[in-house]
Amino acid sequence: MSISVSRNDQPRHLNFQKNWREWLAGYLMILPNFLRFFVFMLIPILVTIYIGFTNWDLINAPRWVGLLNYKILLRDSIFWTSLKKTILFTIVNVPVQSFLALLIAILLNQKLKGLNLFRTLFIAPWICMPVAIGLTWTWIYNKEFGYLNHILELIGLAKVGWITSQDITLWSIVATNVWEFLGWHIILLLAALQIVPPDLYEAALVDGANNWTRFWKITVPVISPIFFYDLVVNMISTLQIFDLPFAMTNGGPGNASRVFNLYLYQKGFQFLQMGPASAMGVILFIFIIICTFFIFKYIGSRINYDLS
Amino acid sequence: MLTLGQRQSLHKSMLYMLIIFLLFIYLFPLLWQLSTSLKDASEVFSGFNLIPQKITSAAYFTAWSRFNLQQYLFNTAIVALFILIGTLISCGLAGYAFGQLQFPGKNILFYLYLATMMVPAAVTLIPAYYIIIKLNWVNTYYALIVPFMFGNAFGTFLMRQFFMTLPKELSESATIDGAGYFQTWWRIMLPLSKPALATLGVMTLVAQWNSFMWPLVVTQSQSLKVLSVGLADFRLYFSVQWNSLMAAVMIAVIPMLLILILAQKMFIKGIQFSGVNR
Repeated sequence: MSISVSRNDQPRHLNFQKNWREWLAGYLMILPNFLRFFVFMLIPILVTIYIGFTNWDLINAPRWVGLLNYKILLRDSIFWTSLKKTILFTIVNVPVQSFLALLIAILLNQKLKGLNLFRTLFIAPWICMPVAIGLTWTWIYNKEFGYLNHILELIGLAKVGWITSQDITLWSIVATNVWEFLGWHIILLLAALQIVPPDLYEAALVDGANNWTRFWKITVPVISPIFFYDLVVNMISTLQIFDLPFAMTNGGPGNASRVFNLYLYQKGFQFLQMGPASAMGVILFIFIIICTFFIFKYIGSRINYDLS
Repeated sequence: MLTLGQRQSLHKSMLYMLIIFLLFIYLFPLLWQLSTSLKDASEVFSGFNLIPQKITSAAYFTAWSRFNLQQYLFNTAIVALFILIGTLISCGLAGYAFGQLQFPGKNILFYLYLATMMVPAAVTLIPAYYIIIKLNWVNTYYALIVPFMFGNAFGTFLMRQFFMTLPKELSESATIDGAGYFQTWWRIMLPLSKPALATLGVMTLVAQWNSFMWPLVVTQSQSLKVLSVGLADFRLYFSVQWNSLMAAVMIAVIPMLLILILAQKMFIKGIQFSGVNR
């Protein structure tokens, strides 16, 4: 910190002698947050990078092995499976969730009585514990006695092993995930829709624009920044999916639903291979940064932020 | 022929019917979970009726007595409560500092901190766990509470945005009157920020109540498990008694559903905030 000499043309807050109390108060007030940031975030990130280059079981001292963990992972077929499952999960989950949420948000955005009640009911699944919700859906997906197969039987179809079949399990968990967090996206997009100034619609109506044109020319540009933000956050959190697969299938059958974080957890805390697990953490972090970069480059650059 | 008014009201009632239909389908899994939890063990496997023929609380008693639910509930509540208080104080302070005070490096620090929302939990998990081991905190409440009670980026952001809307003169006049910055914060700013604190409070409460990965890693003993971890175990032992399992699920989600009913507006504000106020 440099001490600046008092001069009249300087901004008020750069005068140390006059403002040191305020500075001190400011730094002290952000201290708890930054203490946590250092102890439980910054230092652990650096340590994770280091542990990724070692052989460590939490008990004995870590032993430097260079790039070995990364080489092992690259040759580990389950690692690639888990990465693939996670990408598939995200690629389907994010657009489906956003699209469904937008449809329902448009439906709700019509000066309805009882809108508050509808909104509240739509976020009820989000408020529920994912592990608990996972168990509920395990029951619904149950092959013999589950409700879903009951419906299939009613309409004359064969029973499906929703979370016991290799091909379907991942998609069943995606469906549960879409369902659980849909309400969150509905509320967010509804708020975005309500930003659209009504006089814009009226002006368009005078110009003879139909519903479809109004949607594309007015609604889409106005909501696109929030829609895009929602996509990015949703992508980042879906790449870290853990609770639902853990509770519903624990990765099975076989490796059908072994998503990245689940495999990382198992490597670290069941097999005590902290080296490969840390390397996986580093890979996930880099992967998230790359995905975020590309989504900003290819979609973010087309977003219209200037509407005034 | 219908008049314009009649057509509009027909349109409205069809819209309502559509929304109620969608909501019924959407909430069906929760209704089915409630229904199963109230059924007799024999009825669980014999019928698909949503309303049980005989409503019984037997499954709740089984879940409550055979499993450590009481302890899990207590642990979850106590952990969530401490983290809630800690988060409100830490984020209230940081939000005030970032939103109202002036100090060198303020904006850089703020945006740097904000960027940490992108960091996946998996990257910090193992060293954070090692810190807990070194502190001898494995299987203690400290392990569950301390890493989360000193605020977070989302909460600090929320509080900062709120404090930025307050006029600067307010805190300046208070400091001129001789009150220190902390006094001003406690006496004037905190009472004014009740709406923002309430929003942050309910969001924190739900996030903590439902959190899973960290408690799973740091607690092994039965007496320290939280509900989410306990429930994940149930799956292994309880897998065919669906009514008891659904009763346990109900017990885990009812507290948060009650809070949703009581504080619906705050949840909606909290969600909207996360997107609209970038």
